[in-house]
Amino acid sequence: MNTSHHLTEAHTDRLARQVAAQLDQGLRELPHDISERLRAARTRAVAARRQPVVVLATGARVQKGTLVLEGGPDKMRFWGWMGSLLPLIALFLGLFAIHTLQNDWRADELASVDAALLTDELPPTAYTDPGFLRFIRAGAPESTAGRTNAD
Amino acid sequence: MASDSELSDFLKSVEKRAFKRSLYHVRDEDAALDIVQDSMMKLAEHYGDKPVDELPMLFHRILSNTTLDWFRRQKTKNALFTNFSQFDSEDSTEDFDLLETHQIQEGQERVESAQRTVERHQSIQEIEHEIQKLPARQREAFLLRYWEELDVAETAAVMGCSEGSVKTHCSRAVQALDKALKAKGLQP
Repeated sequence: MNTSHHLTEAHTDRLARQVAAQLDQGLRELPHDISERLRAARTRAVAARRQPVVVLATGARVQKGTLVLEGGPDKMRFWGWMGSLLPLIALFLGLFAIHTLQNDWRADELASVDAALLTDELPPTAYTDPGFLRFIRAGAPESTAGRTNAD
Repeated sequence: MASDSELSDFLKSVEKRAFKRSLYHVRDEDAALDIVQDSMMKLAEHYGDKPVDELPMLFHRILSNTTLDWFRRQKTKNALFTNFSQFDSEDSTEDFDLLETHQIQEGQERVESAQRTVERHQSIQEIEHEIQKLPARQREAFLLRYWEELDVAETAAVMGCSEGSVKTHCSRAVQALDKALKAKGLQP
């Protein structure tokens, strides 16, 4: 830095203010499109600002001649919990009902098969006999056909 | 907490200077507009619930940081990171008197001649050019201290440096401007 170019504090301040004033004048000559884009940016920013949390009162009562609002966050939180819990409970109840009904239907089907086997002319123990199984594989069609003709 | 209208009024009061400040740094209108818009959004989204008197300091800090982020991104992209000392100072030698230009305001005739308007415009351009030629820290300190009219402590807080550094930056900036403007015949 050139030591011969030192300025007094007052001179520094005066010069700085004059330059700042010139810069302010320059602001007035900003192009219209720049001003418009700045205005649009400002509008977007204001629209995007963080909104404060609104606390809603759920009731009101008169206490010593004064209207007191009550409820607010605690009650709202309770109803919020309930609001999310009830659908879950309904879902579990529905799943339980579907499970029970399916079990009943399966039991009915097995029971009807058992009943058909037990009421048939052929005893169920016949199906455990290896000779009978071989008879079914080899000659079932013929015997079935013969029985049909006999009928 | 600042209301919507207070926030809007505040942004309106600083937006043009913020744009110019960014422009002096980045020298690109679109980039400067992006920086100002980002700064406005950050202020509104993160500090929109602050009292209105806290907004100026917050905004200046955000604007400085956003400008710095822009330079970092540019550097990352291997774009030109401006060498602040590389400037041509011989391109304009018009003879203007800063004080003469300044006296045009109140009490004088309100209608300027075309020549006067051109001279004033050129004078402002010369000053803005010299502002851009300052080293970045000196320019930031000068603009915050004398244009945004922050005090030394506030300027130091925004710039993240000591008050002594702010005084040094401002002093050197003014000396450089004085020397450059005198060399161009713009005698303050």
